[in-house]
Amino acid sequence: MTIRFACTSIRKPLPSRLLALVLLFFSFFSTSNDVSAQTNGSLSGYVMDSTTRLPINGVSVVIKGTKQGTSTDKSGEFHMDISGNQALLEFSFVGYKSKELVVQKGRPATVYLATIVDTFGAVVVTAYGRKERREAVVGSVTSIQPGELKIPASNLTNALAGKIAGVIGFQRGGQPGLDNSSFFIRGVTTLGYSASPLILVDNIELSANDLARLQVDDIASFSILKDASAAALYGARGANGVILVTTKEGKAGKARIEVRAETAISSNTKSLKLADPVTYMKLYNEALATRPPYGAPEFSQNQIIGTQKTLDGAGGIYPLLYPAVDWVKELFNDQTQTYRANFSVSGGNKDAKYYVAGSYSRDNGILKVNSVNNFNSGMKFENYQLRANTSLKLSPTTEVGVRLWGNFNEYMGPISNQGGGFATDLYSQVLHSTPVGFPAFWQPDSANRNTKHILFGNRLRNGNLQSNPYASLMYGYKTFSESRMSAQFEVNQSLKFITPGLTFFGMFSTNRYSYFDVSRNYLPFYYDATSFNEQTGEYKLAWLNNQPGSAQEYLNYNEGPKWLNTYLYMLGRVDYTRTFGDHTVGASLIGSRQQTLSGNAGNLLASLPNRNLGVSGRASYSYDNRYFGEFNFGYNGSEKFAPDHRFGFFPTIGAGWVVSNEKFWGGKLAQVVTRLKFRGSYGLVGNDNIGDPRTQRFFYLSNVAPNGGPRSYFGTNNAVSMAGTAIYAYPNPDVTWETGRKSNVAVEVSFFDKLNIIAELYHEDRYDILIRRGYIPVTVGIEGSADANLRANLGKASSDGFDFSLNYRQDFNKNLWVSVLGNFTATRNKVVQWEEPEYQYPWKFYRGQPINQPFGFIAERLFVDDKEAMNSPVQLFGGNAPQGGDIKYRDINGDGVINQDDQVPIGLPSTPQIIYGFGFSVGFKNFDLSAFFQGSARSTFFINPSATTDFEYGIFGTAPFANNAQILDAYAQDHWSEEKQNLYALWPRLATYEVPNNTQTSTWWLRNGAFVRLKSVEAGYTFPKRWTNSIYMNSVRLYFSGLNLLTFSSFKLWDPELAGNGFAYPVQKVFNVGLKFDL
Amino acid sequence: MKIFFKILLAGCTLGTFQGCKKYLDVTPDNIATLESSFSNANEAHAYLFGCYANLQALADVRRNSGFTASGEILFPINMQDQTTLGGGGGDAGFNLMRGLQNSLNPIHNFWDGYNMGLKLYESIRMCNTFLDNIHIPLDVQPYDRTRWSAEAKFLKAYYHYWLIRMYGPIPVADKAIPVNAPSEEVRQKQQSLDSCFSYVVKTLDEAILDLPPAIQNAAAEAGRITSAIALAVKAEVLATQASPLFNGNPDYTGFKGKNGEQLWPASYDATKWERAAEACRVAILAAEAAGAKPYELRLQGNIVSASDQTKQLLTLQGAFVDPWNAEQVWTLNPRFGWQYMAMPRVTAEAAGNVFAVYSNFSVPLAESEIFYSKNGVPINEDVNFDYANRYLLATGDADHRYYIKQDYNTVRGNFNREPRYYSSVAFDGAVWFGSGNTNDNNPNYVNAVNGYASPPDRTRYNATGYWAKKLVHYQSVPGQNTVWQTYPWTFIRLSGLWLLYAECLNEAGNHAEAITWLDKVRTRAGLPGVVTAWATYSRLPSKPASKDGLRSIIHQERRIELAFEGQAGWDLRRWKELQNVLSKPFQGWTVFNRTVAGYYQLSNVYQPAFGLRDYLFPIQQYDLLTNPNLVQTPYW
Repeated sequence: MTIRFACTSIRKPLPSRLLALVLLFFSFFSTSNDVSAQTNGSLSGYVMDSTTRLPINGVSVVIKGTKQGTSTDKSGEFHMDISGNQALLEFSFVGYKSKELVVQKGRPATVYLATIVDTFGAVVVTAYGRKERREAVVGSVTSIQPGELKIPASNLTNALAGKIAGVIGFQRGGQPGLDNSSFFIRGVTTLGYSASPLILVDNIELSANDLARLQVDDIASFSILKDASAAALYGARGANGVILVTTKEGKAGKARIEVRAETAISSNTKSLKLADPVTYMKLYNEALATRPPYGAPEFSQNQIIGTQKTLDGAGGIYPLLYPAVDWVKELFNDQTQTYRANFSVSGGNKDAKYYVAGSYSRDNGILKVNSVNNFNSGMKFENYQLRANTSLKLSPTTEVGVRLWGNFNEYMGPISNQGGGFATDLYSQVLHSTPVGFPAFWQPDSANRNTKHILFGNRLRNGNLQSNPYASLMYGYKTFSESRMSAQFEVNQSLKFITPGLTFFGMFSTNRYSYFDVSRNYLPFYYDATSFNEQTGEYKLAWLNNQPGSAQEYLNYNEGPKWLNTYLYMLGRVDYTRTFGDHTVGASLIGSRQQTLSGNAGNLLASLPNRNLGVSGRASYSYDNRYFGEFNFGYNGSEKFAPDHRFGFFPTIGAGWVVSNEKFWGGKLAQVVTRLKFRGSYGLVGNDNIGDPRTQRFFYLSNVAPNGGPRSYFGTNNAVSMAGTAIYAYPNPDVTWETGRKSNVAVEVSFFDKLNIIAELYHEDRYDILIRRGYIPVTVGIEGSADANLRANLGKASSDGFDFSLNYRQDFNKNLWVSVLGNFTATRNKVVQWEEPEYQYPWKFYRGQPINQPFGFIAERLFVDDKEAMNSPVQLFGGNAPQGGDIKYRDINGDGVINQDDQVPIGLPSTPQIIYGFGFSVGFKNFDLSAFFQGSARSTFFINPSATTDFEYGIFGTAPFANNAQILDAYAQDHWSEEKQNLYALWPRLATYEVPNNTQTSTWWLRNGAFVRLKSVEAGYTFPKRWTNSIYMNSVRLYFSGLNLLTFSSFKLWDPELAGNGFAYPVQKVFNVGLKFDL
Repeated sequence: MKIFFKILLAGCTLGTFQGCKKYLDVTPDNIATLESSFSNANEAHAYLFGCYANLQALADVRRNSGFTASGEILFPINMQDQTTLGGGGGDAGFNLMRGLQNSLNPIHNFWDGYNMGLKLYESIRMCNTFLDNIHIPLDVQPYDRTRWSAEAKFLKAYYHYWLIRMYGPIPVADKAIPVNAPSEEVRQKQQSLDSCFSYVVKTLDEAILDLPPAIQNAAAEAGRITSAIALAVKAEVLATQASPLFNGNPDYTGFKGKNGEQLWPASYDATKWERAAEACRVAILAAEAAGAKPYELRLQGNIVSASDQTKQLLTLQGAFVDPWNAEQVWTLNPRFGWQYMAMPRVTAEAAGNVFAVYSNFSVPLAESEIFYSKNGVPINEDVNFDYANRYLLATGDADHRYYIKQDYNTVRGNFNREPRYYSSVAFDGAVWFGSGNTNDNNPNYVNAVNGYASPPDRTRYNATGYWAKKLVHYQSVPGQNTVWQTYPWTFIRLSGLWLLYAECLNEAGNHAEAITWLDKVRTRAGLPGVVTAWATYSRLPSKPASKDGLRSIIHQERRIELAFEGQAGWDLRRWKELQNVLSKPFQGWTVFNRTVAGYYQLSNVYQPAFGLRDYLFPIQQYDLLTNPNLVQTPYW
């Protein structure tokens, strides 16, 4: 190998820099093989991080002005033989400020290198994992130190909001395993199927779920590609932005082991409060009496008094005769514990490097477990992962790498029948179960002393069993297993034998995903008490569901769906970079192909492989580190479209100007403004994720059922009959991806090398958005069955916005440092073109409004009385006239009738337009403390006032009494009643059924979604070096952290981040303690 | 090593970029697409059947405004159960006579396909798709290809005609507009009325050339369109265009498009009648060439006794209900399914099964009175007919024993009527030949006062006391094991064509010829010629001599001859007479009264409401939103 290499070098004169590298390579070779080469006559010393005081491995140590140099080993040491007694050494390392120091022979020097403040990391990872100097980047790329994303929860997506300028994120539920945040890069600019960014981990496209499970400790870099220039290489897939994550690789040196263990207590940020049973009964009676048909009270005075006694703990027969059940307490614990641990080992030598990491986390739900069951139907979500990244140097010019990753999730929890989530429907059941009907379960009576099963409580109502949420929780359990195994092979080949500066990178990757679930359950036995002995308190239980087959003690078994799919990816990249004097040119050409296949797609079309093929390229030029120009293009194709619409070309241009590198930048100004850079970009990127891959593929093909259409008959006896063709989708060969035309301008400025600010402004026009053609006149004759699938690239939307990030770091002295960071993302979007009818009234139009703008009535107040309701504009919903205490709507068009013409845009979309975050860290000696606040503004949501639940979105109706619902405490406190005729009460006149007048979408139920929360706090202590060294460790850190500790919002009913999903599994508040050490 | 990597590099590069196109071609060839429906003759033929489907659905009288809004039959309102007509608003069409038409959610919405309307534009698109693709299958015989194409053209034309009759000017859908067409292209304008008619006529003309003159294989193909049918339809289309509603009707001169273009013919054009008359002549010739001739009675099964009178009645009725007979120029599959609505209960068996017979199709008294006297003139003109005392009671006598149950009391108005009255309408005391009894010497009869035919409840009843007997085949036997002798619905009969010809001739000024064709119908009905009848029996003996007089005679003759056949509603509309017919209350007997005296008290069922604006149908408001180029029908 070496000989061949030498041959090459002889044939072509090598540039001096390369020679140095070769020398370096040989010097490495010699040092690692001959440790005794050190002599007394060498310069030596340690290089350490100025903050952590940890040694830095691989720092380049060069005698200033020469090519002679070495680098530090893993313990930060360096040795160098020189001719003289001393030398001026230059220490430099990626991510650190260079330092110069005169070192004398025999006097080992200790050098502290200061990091370049975080978000200004000198190297930025850009598209396809290319590392670029920050200065040279002209596109909008936000990189974040992975450590910033560390929160005491096992879901990475929940750390994004407020941490990264340009990300709009929010979390709508906290159930273990289902607590992903939604996140959008620079908000939503599409009216189409998907606004989700492309997520790439080590260049492999993964889902948001996979991202959620990534271990922060395994991440080497985390970047967001926001503008056209940065994402252009992804062509038709980059329009929604790209999240780019790379995982750590080993570094040469002795094995370094890092271990982290955490345990946390989590509880709801805010729990829903229901009215107490007595209030429930009183208000139920009120609701009956206040509306037609003005029924007699449901609960007698005796019952109410008795229940009150039960609540007061009267004991005896009261709890049996007058049960008062707090279902929330019966089903849910106040808090639960979670555990997380992970470790990594990394190291290697010059020829082979490795990074191996494993992790385990366990999130428990807040559900209760009954000891009678020997299975645990509480909730448990476990995740374990194993990652091995290794790289081998086959020759000085060839390096190959293998990355293996396995991600495994195991869930066990209660059975849920609803689509909204695994357990969220328990909240719905709790809300829709009477608190005064029967106890959750009975203690066995004399006859049932030896009964094995739980004696669930119930009572027949109109001959039917009622819902017992406790039984629903306990009667069985569901498990699922989910895994993804990924294997990746990479090769890095220097092609300098062709021309210097030319390299090749190739990659092959595949992964397999699988999911299955199984549920097992018995059929609960329900009992009601029949007779009470008032003296002894004894009772007899009657088995209610004693029909054969309706209760059973042994378990049933149900297999759920199984998902299997595979992913295959190939990438080849040729890079060229070379500097000629002041001129640096670079170019890349990338080819990639990708395929996903589903093993149980469900239908022929969906079973066909999903493919993507792309060529993309990049050409850059820079002059003297002052002027930067770049041209990028993506040319890629997707199998979804007709052959002549498959390939799209997405060019972008970008330019940067580092003003502070100019000659004229000097003097005072340069001392204050230490760095100033302007950059901008303009270009196109596409989004081909435009239809549900399971139901909408191949828009260019029609979807028909020959002989499945309308039928006719002929012949004197109607003997001849055939059916025509039913069309479910018309072919539309013109359907193609949507395209974003994006422009971006930014300024990066540093003051005193301490305060760094990046501000970016952008505008995007998204066009060719595939939208449903809902308004084709019927005269075109579109068949009804195809109507829903009629889509065309007719939508247009635009957005603009502003990203801002700031950080500041001040080292006061050796012991005290402070850093502050803040960022702010504001986006605003607008529907520019939308196919809609020519409405008579201007306020009916969707175009011109923000994307997902809600429309509804303007609620003025509640009606004073029936008379006022009668004399107001006609307001008939569900055919019934409103009464006093019902919501009065505004007659916008003044036609005396409240109907759909009076619905106007109200509120804002539920996706916030502004996300911001700010925080600080201080370090004093071995203590550090940080806090981070996150906020969200400019969004609204609706309280669902109906009695029904939208299970698809998990939005539960809050209407009291209807569908056997309980009443929220807030409604009990504040509603319109005959006695208290508050025209602005929270809830209108009570009813035991849903009142259509009051369930209309209106401003009455509109709430501001803005909030600020103390998202995380962390206090840590790093044990002193000498102490840790004595137990053979490099460092040990103990820390306490908290998540979602405080929330400030004008909305009080539930956690405002849940928005309309008030009964979703709440967002969790976490108190965590962790220990991290490495050796 | 170097070479190895060069090869590796080349391999990777080629592997990635070679065969790009192939890599993305993931769809196999045999995925079912619209082309699959034209992959062979069988599939294409089936597609044509799909085009026919809505035409056959039009044969359901519930969807036919000519049936439900004609004043011939009403549907009781305020029944205990309003869903007897198949549920799902099946009785919607009858509400057209109640002033319930509206533009928010129109009744008989054939534009969008709601409220017993059909999505006719969908069918039109199917026809267009068929015509665009029928060249594809290679195994279709050339003669089939031309014939099928002609059928699709006919269907397209007929669907347009149906819409024009309802809405006047409509957007013409001659081509299947691509689904990805821009908004302006899909927002089609209404075309002027005459160009709409011209389009229909032109398309029919194209179809006529390639259609077979008659069906050879009736067992397999009866119901398929022939050139004789197309010519008859063309005659009807042209007559409709010439009729007062559409020909220079001053009520609609303000019917203008979005840009002010005139959609309605400004003035009356007499030549339209001439064209229509010519088309009728050609249509009759073609029908006769295809074998059309007046119906001759075909009795089936064991007939115990059928007098000549009875046979005459069966002949008159059989022309409509005897399936696929020679008089029927155009009949639609599959079958009329509402005989139980039209029939009275005449047997203990039928009365014993309350679910067998509903009788809800109620013929208003006024409709029963348009039938002539036995002398072939209107009963209020007949010098021999005691018109003033027609509601007084009389007893069934021997002369009328094949019409009215002997010795049974019924009103005088039921006596001395023309045979078509007895063949079309049943009333209290009427003889009912059939329903399991084919002995006209001891026949079944209708006892609506206190017999089987009286209402068992407030759901299964006839609201007037007159039944559309014509619609019930004599072999239909309701009871515990009900048998309905079903028949396909006829759209055009030869006698209807004769009357249309007579009408056109009269309007075109060919008076004598008109009378000739009119008399052909009267002769078959057993009535004297029009001139003789009027001269001899009418208080207005010279009525046939004038064009106006003859017009009114022809109109009444047509209403009688084609009664309950779903034609009168359309005829009355095009004559602009429907408003007048529906101006008076619908009357009948006091059907819930179980005594003779009480039963024969006149009683109002309801007051119909039908205004000038109801002559044309409103376009659903929502459609005007989705297509701003449309204009609403005037007065809506």
